[in-house]
Amino acid sequence: MRKIWAVIRREFVERVRSRWFWVSAFLGPLFFAAIIIIPLHFAGTGGTKAIVVVDGTTSGFGARVVDSLTQGRTFTIVARPVPHAGLLDSLAHEIGLNRLDGLLVLTDRTVETGAAEYRAANVSSFRDIDELRGVLGRLAVNARLERAGVDPATVGQAQIRIDLQTKKISGSATTGESSAQSFWLAYVMSIVLFIVIAVYGVNVMSSVLEEKTTRIVEVLVSSLRPFELMLGKVVGVGAVSIFQFAIWGLGGRLVLSQRAAFVGSLAPADVGQEAAFQLPPVPAATVAVFLAYFLGGFFLYSAMFAAVGAMSSNEQEARQAQQPVVFLLMIAYLSVFALANNPGSTYAVALSLVPFTSPIAMPVRWAAGSVSVTELVGSLALLVIGIAVVTWIAARIYRVGILMTGKRPNLRELVRWIKTA
Amino acid sequence: MTSPSPSPSPILMLDRVSKRFAGHTAVDELSLSVPRGVIYGLLGPNGAGKTTTIRMIMDILEPDGGAVRVFGEPGGGRVHSERIGYLPEERGLYRKMRVLDVLVFLGEMKGIDRRRARQRAEGWLERLGLAQWRLRRVDELSKGMQQKVQFISTMLHDPDLMILDEPFSALDPVNAQVMKDTVLDLRSRGKTILFSTHIMEQAEKLCEQLCIIARGRKLVDGALGDIKRTHGGHHLVIGFDGSLGGAAQVFADKGLVSKVDNYGQYAELELASGADPQQILQRLVTSGARLSKFELQEASLNKIFIDLVGPEAVRA
Repeated sequence: MRKIWAVIRREFVERVRSRWFWVSAFLGPLFFAAIIIIPLHFAGTGGTKAIVVVDGTTSGFGARVVDSLTQGRTFTIVARPVPHAGLLDSLAHEIGLNRLDGLLVLTDRTVETGAAEYRAANVSSFRDIDELRGVLGRLAVNARLERAGVDPATVGQAQIRIDLQTKKISGSATTGESSAQSFWLAYVMSIVLFIVIAVYGVNVMSSVLEEKTTRIVEVLVSSLRPFELMLGKVVGVGAVSIFQFAIWGLGGRLVLSQRAAFVGSLAPADVGQEAAFQLPPVPAATVAVFLAYFLGGFFLYSAMFAAVGAMSSNEQEARQAQQPVVFLLMIAYLSVFALANNPGSTYAVALSLVPFTSPIAMPVRWAAGSVSVTELVGSLALLVIGIAVVTWIAARIYRVGILMTGKRPNLRELVRWIKTA
Repeated sequence: MTSPSPSPSPILMLDRVSKRFAGHTAVDELSLSVPRGVIYGLLGPNGAGKTTTIRMIMDILEPDGGAVRVFGEPGGGRVHSERIGYLPEERGLYRKMRVLDVLVFLGEMKGIDRRRARQRAEGWLERLGLAQWRLRRVDELSKGMQQKVQFISTMLHDPDLMILDEPFSALDPVNAQVMKDTVLDLRSRGKTILFSTHIMEQAEKLCEQLCIIARGRKLVDGALGDIKRTHGGHHLVIGFDGSLGGAAQVFADKGLVSKVDNYGQYAELELASGADPQQILQRLVTSGARLSKFELQEASLNKIFIDLVGPEAVRA
């Protein structure tokens, strides 16, 4: 036991002493913020789009569309020409040259059948398409109602803008969390879990590899059992990651308490917009779930990474051999949108129960929607069983692998390693 | 405590220990016994199973059959790690760690507490002239200095039994000297040292007891002197001073000489069993040969080794 403790302390002290640790302690949050906020920023606020409305309507419908779009903040209407030969081609050319973002083609058929056309370099922006669809739909309904003899004033009165407030129900208590906030929390947690499990798992792997390539492992294994050595490593590196989280947590607290000052100094131009963005309140239960699954995921994956390190003879081999493990970890990470949008689906439930995906999937489901206690307990129990089985297998690979030199074992040899008593 | 009996129980015993790897048997029912307080050589050509044997003694590998007993108790190096020092054949240290930290950690691995490990490490670093490097990182040290740090790590816990796998390989001459002095110093303090080597000259100078193995099997073991007497045969070195006389006829006499290595002015003979060297001398002189040298020699360990192992195994 004292020897395991010494291994844990060595892993911890050597890592915390390294420059790498402090760089990631300070720059980690910036890095996370960047990879979380930058894509959402580009997806969300693309600035206004300059478009041309090619108006082939004879009823004044085109003019009403232009009025309505001009009121919104998404589009700037550059012109509203009447269609003529060659117009569409020349406009398409303009779009190709980036002088124009898009063009909307309206005809009388738009009101009759609902057919309209939007051509643009980028048609994947949900925000743009939603806006167009909303405006065209509303105005087409109005036009058709008026044609059927309904008083325009009545039509105007009949229209109501729905402001759908979403509140998450957790257990039976309605929380203050909005669906956007829930999604944010889930999204951020999945990224942090994925990166931290991968980074610290790879840390365990390189540590195993270092001892193997320097042959220190022989001296160590003649002093304590291979399993104890592996356990000490995993726990030591795990302690470093918890310490890292603690630094991030405390740092985050500090930044939030001084947020006004920070926002003011960092982004003076955007103060209005930034102030409107509230960080979601994170309930204690969510923190607990997050930490529990982080630890579970870390133990599960670092056992696998330890086995990968043990079966490789150099960094290059290890990089190749780690790929299946990273892919396994990525399954849940890549499913984060599906999980957050539909946390109750069979797929989401399955991912949150299988030990290889539950460390990321369950916290995401937990944050995005409510998860029953039974499910949570079941998932944790499966995770614990998964850790036990995977660690057992990994330890057997580790025990044989750390003394092997030469070529990496193939699958059949691995199975033999696992079987040898 | 062991009683001071004239023939104390061996410090290390292997009882028909075997280890098979996929496809071949590395060690085949090897038995040996190492008395207390001796320098014991485990000799054999490359691939003979020396490292595998040592790894089984150290509990790094588990034998497929047979038993290892250390200090008269069952179990190998891991069970008794606080009393055994081990230097593996391929050496290395944590490159990014500070010298003192590495030593303290490896001391802890052998079961001594941090404070004592630290004191002893400082003492050893001082003794081997590395005191000013103690807070430097291992990779800032020269290779020779790293080797010294590694010796220290092996001896830090003052073990009763030292197991050294090819201790002299890849050492620079200065460190080879340090190693040799250390081994002798340990021996004089009553410690037992088992080391493996394929360099016979070294074994011949250092070992009191030895075991020669090849292809996982024991060929011979026992005290160096006994082995030389039983396997050495009689070896005669003859130098001529110009005239060879009738030497060729004398050498051809199978009743006297079993093997000749003739260089013209110099010859090495192996005596036939029961032959009297004096008779050879007499016949050479009467045949008119002029001698500058006539010396009866014990066979070198190297010669015994090659005779036992066979030239083909040496090449392997």
